[in-house]
Amino acid sequence: MRPHEVEILLVEDNPNDAELTLRALKQRNLANQLFLCRDGAEAIAFFAEGVGPVPKVVLLDLKLPKVDGLEVLRRLKADVRTKAIPVVVLTSSREEPDIARAYELGANSYIVKPVDFDAFARAVSEVGLYWLLLNHPPQ
Amino acid sequence: MNWSIERKLPLFVAGLLLAVVLVLLSIGFGEVRRASRDLANERLQRASQQLAEALQRSLAQYRAQAAALASDAGVVAFLASHGRRAHARALSALDHIAHDTVSNIAAELWDSGGRLLLRTGRLRAGASSIPASDSAAVSPLIRRDSILYYEVVHAVRADGKGPQATSVVGRARLVRRINLSAQARAMLTGLAGGDALLLLGNAAGDPWTDFATVVPAPPATVLRSATPTSYERGETKRASAAPVPGSPWMVIVEVPSPTILAPARAYLRRMAPIAAVVVLIGALGAWWGSRRITTPLREVTRASEAIAAGDLDRRVQVDRTDELGRLGRSFNAMTEQVARSLQHSETMLRGVTQTAHDAIIAADAEGLIQYWNPGAARIFGYDTAEVLGKPLTMLMPQRFHDAHRSGIRRYVETLQARVVGRTVELAGRRKDGSEFPLELSLGAAPLEGGMSFTGVIRDITERKRMEEALRATNAELESFSYSVSHDLRAPLRAIHGFARILLEDHNAQLDLEAQRLLGVIDQNTRRMGQLIDDLLAFSRLGRQEIDTSRVDMRELARTVTDDVRRAESDRPLEITVDALPPARGDRALLRQVVSNLVQNAAKFTRGRTPARIEVGSRPDRGQTVYFVKDNGAGFDERYAGKLFGVFQRLHRAEEFEGTGVGLAIVQRIVQRHGGRVWAEGKLDQGATFYFTLPGSEG
Repeated sequence: MRPHEVEILLVEDNPNDAELTLRALKQRNLANQLFLCRDGAEAIAFFAEGVGPVPKVVLLDLKLPKVDGLEVLRRLKADVRTKAIPVVVLTSSREEPDIARAYELGANSYIVKPVDFDAFARAVSEVGLYWLLLNHPPQ
Repeated sequence: MNWSIERKLPLFVAGLLLAVVLVLLSIGFGEVRRASRDLANERLQRASQQLAEALQRSLAQYRAQAAALASDAGVVAFLASHGRRAHARALSALDHIAHDTVSNIAAELWDSGGRLLLRTGRLRAGASSIPASDSAAVSPLIRRDSILYYEVVHAVRADGKGPQATSVVGRARLVRRINLSAQARAMLTGLAGGDALLLLGNAAGDPWTDFATVVPAPPATVLRSATPTSYERGETKRASAAPVPGSPWMVIVEVPSPTILAPARAYLRRMAPIAAVVVLIGALGAWWGSRRITTPLREVTRASEAIAAGDLDRRVQVDRTDELGRLGRSFNAMTEQVARSLQHSETMLRGVTQTAHDAIIAADAEGLIQYWNPGAARIFGYDTAEVLGKPLTMLMPQRFHDAHRSGIRRYVETLQARVVGRTVELAGRRKDGSEFPLELSLGAAPLEGGMSFTGVIRDITERKRMEEALRATNAELESFSYSVSHDLRAPLRAIHGFARILLEDHNAQLDLEAQRLLGVIDQNTRRMGQLIDDLLAFSRLGRQEIDTSRVDMRELARTVTDDVRRAESDRPLEITVDALPPARGDRALLRQVVSNLVQNAAKFTRGRTPARIEVGSRPDRGQTVYFVKDNGAGFDERYAGKLFGVFQRLHRAEEFEGTGVGLAIVQRIVQRHGGRVWAEGKLDQGATFYFTLPGSEG
């Protein structure tokens, strides 16, 4: 899968969460052009290659091996080439400092992953629908 | 003048006595002088009268002599014959007179033509100065060289008799010197009162004599005055004049004024020493009296000065029964009272400062240490003797020295305080040089023209360590709850998610029992997710800052009950909200309190028809008690203590769902606001939950 074909970049280290996310998106037929990064370093590397089409949305977990999600977010928003990409923080943390820091760095949304799978699936699919189909990014 | 009473009183009394004595002396002196003068006047007047009379008497004698001469037959015959006859007889008559007394210095017979026909005696007097008369005229005094004389002239008639129809044939003239017997003078002088001077002269002026030599005529004022007067001649004289009848003469008796005033001066001489003695005795008496009064006063003064200087053991020794004695005794009593209360307050103060765990240090406006309590010694390691009079800077690290000095200077000059009147945290320096955190409460008070700073210092090393430990614990707790929220939820989500996938995607391969079991997994993972969320919410409460503001409790309760009514719209629910007074607190947290209580009430009224919930308040001892009351399942009062514990539940999970955290959160929030929460209820008869908030307007 080439970067120019990517619509959703999912940064998630937990394979179970990744699978559940994928499944939720698939049910809405939103997972066709999804690229998965297993840690922060991979995500940064993904953008380092960066020419051509960029993802329409980045779903970013915060607690990641190597480079954590907030650092990834900071780099994305600090780079003129990537700062227009919507970043949705999708995490288990509902700690206020994390939420505040994420928005400070320019996160476009902050979603707490519910334990309840139904709620989780609903949240993920709605996020995908919104950012892929409803949102109109700058050309 | 700043003199003591002991000196002023005798001076005052002596001055008073002196004034009285002087007045008395001057009055006495005046009286004596006036009496002396009156007496002198009287004497002078009498003497001058008598002198005049004596002269008049002797003149009368000479006039008789002249008359006798004029009527002498020989003289008449001699003159009538123009000296041609009876010469011898006439001469005999003249001689008889001229040698009669020593004073008769000449006797002469003149004819009517004015020629001197016959004369005897030593003096050639020349032409007569006065006309002859039939009653023997006396002339004024006449001076020739050093001799004073006068004439007595009598007309000589032809028949030697009176003036009737007989012609004047000539005149007889006697020339006499002034003479007054020594006896008469002594008598008169004595009469006038010693030192008297007898004067005789013409009323019209010179010459005048004192019966021995020629003297200048006295001034006319004296001569014209009917009463004795004073005049100056060498010295002041008191003189009395009197005319000598039958002559143009006047006599004066005069006495030097000092002689007259001698008795007054004698009076002064006698009285002055007596007066001086009186004044001296009076002054001594006053001095003695004032010493009697001022000695105890001085004793009281010295004692009070000693007491003012700090010697509170000083007492006044006054062994008297009068007012001064009372003064001394009450002074002693007062001193004792002062000493007692001072000792009392000192004991109190010492008790406080000696036993205080904190350091209590006082310093003056120069920042020099004036007081040092045992607490200070313990905290800083210095003994009292090591620090008294030393600068405060020895108690602080070098880097604070400049700020400290300028702070003291600024405060003394402008009274503008940054530290004074507050409690601040600073760093201190012990004797061994080690630094430690301290808390300083500094006060300043004006003291005897300067400024006194008092600091209460607490070593907060331990507290700082505890705070640090608490911070570390909090951080640990935070990371723990972070892990819980993040790491525990992920596997749970996986379990739940995959169980659901199994149920949804592989339903066909599962029999009913497998489906039921997966359903149990599903339920329990949900419940565990809820537990984790509630637990996190509860633990977050302990760390959250409280943002206090005025909260409209009625408005807040309305929004909460509206939400609950909406959520429970499938059943009849009667919720009433009374007029609640406003409170002070964190709006979001208070909303959670009311929300939890109302949701709790809604949960436990399920199955009641109608279900009633009341949110109200009542005033109680100055504050407001808010309550949420329901007619639900209630609870057994025996377990009321467990209501607010975390995960404590009084009902089985099948009866009412819940994690048992809601009321624990309520209690935690109310307690963090400084309030109280409690509940009343009976099984199946509803429950009421109460809470109070300090600062609510009861």
